[in-house]
Amino acid sequence: MKWAIVRFPGSNCDEDTRFALTKAGLRAEYVWHTETSLKGFDGVFLPGGFSYGDYLRAGALAAKSPVMAEVARFAREGRPVIGVCNGFQVLTEAGLLPGALLANLNLHFTCKEVGVRVERTDLPFTRLYQKGQVLRLPIAHAEGRYYADPETLERLEGEGQVVFRYAPLRGEGDYNPNGSLNDIAGIVNEKGNVLGMMPHPERAVDEVLGGTDGLPLFLGLVEEVAR
Amino acid sequence: MPRYQATLLIELKEGILDPQGRAVEGVLKGLGHPVEGVRVGKVLEVVFQAENLLQAEEKAKAMGKLLANPVMEVFTLEALKELS
Repeated sequence: MKWAIVRFPGSNCDEDTRFALTKAGLRAEYVWHTETSLKGFDGVFLPGGFSYGDYLRAGALAAKSPVMAEVARFAREGRPVIGVCNGFQVLTEAGLLPGALLANLNLHFTCKEVGVRVERTDLPFTRLYQKGQVLRLPIAHAEGRYYADPETLERLEGEGQVVFRYAPLRGEGDYNPNGSLNDIAGIVNEKGNVLGMMPHPERAVDEVLGGTDGLPLFLGLVEEVAR
Repeated sequence: MPRYQATLLIELKEGILDPQGRAVEGVLKGLGHPVEGVRVGKVLEVVFQAENLLQAEEKAKAMGKLLANPVMEVFTLEALKELS
């Protein structure tokens, strides 16, 4: 299975993402954002970073890139699409996932490890986790406060589209790092093939990096193909 | 073709919490200004060509629609003027 890692001007998690995908046994190639074809790829990954310096709004300008028409096609055709951090912001700005990511409530750029609870395990991205398992994953963002209007939020919850939620790691009370509604850290589209999440699984795939709780997400993608 | 300058105002929708505005509000209050609220938005000044004022307005609105995120923002065409 071959993954495209889209590089926008200002992407900076592209190499980490390639490291994680490769470690899981997947092939991965970088694709510049001006490309108009993702032919030959099976999945597409929008990595974290600061595309276009977060100008206008985080992810807003990258969402208009030429390659995004192909990302939209992948989404439509049910192929796997993952957006992490800035990639999640790009997916919401492109309308491929509902809602938006607003400035953190405390206005800080927050870079730390958080608890992330797995809410469903019937997706390729989460099949190797246990339901309710709390992962230790790093976050690093200034605009991660998930927002959606009440109807959208109700639909997301009703359809089980919330995949990851911030949760206490050690029983702490203030575990929500950014003020996200319903503690939302990651969601999927209705079909379940487009995942957006603020925490960085690609930064948690080796003990040297401080943890491996992100690795099963990538390994799950391999299992998907083998099935 | 005549040149126009459009002033587009992009603001957070009412009811969406604006922590940036709150921070500015806190500073203003700290300096003794009895403000009741602050909202921070963006102003874009776009220069472009159009056949006439009517077409310029259409173009300006289309660009505003493209640049504002309807999930949490609204845009207003604040001003439109022909440049000499």
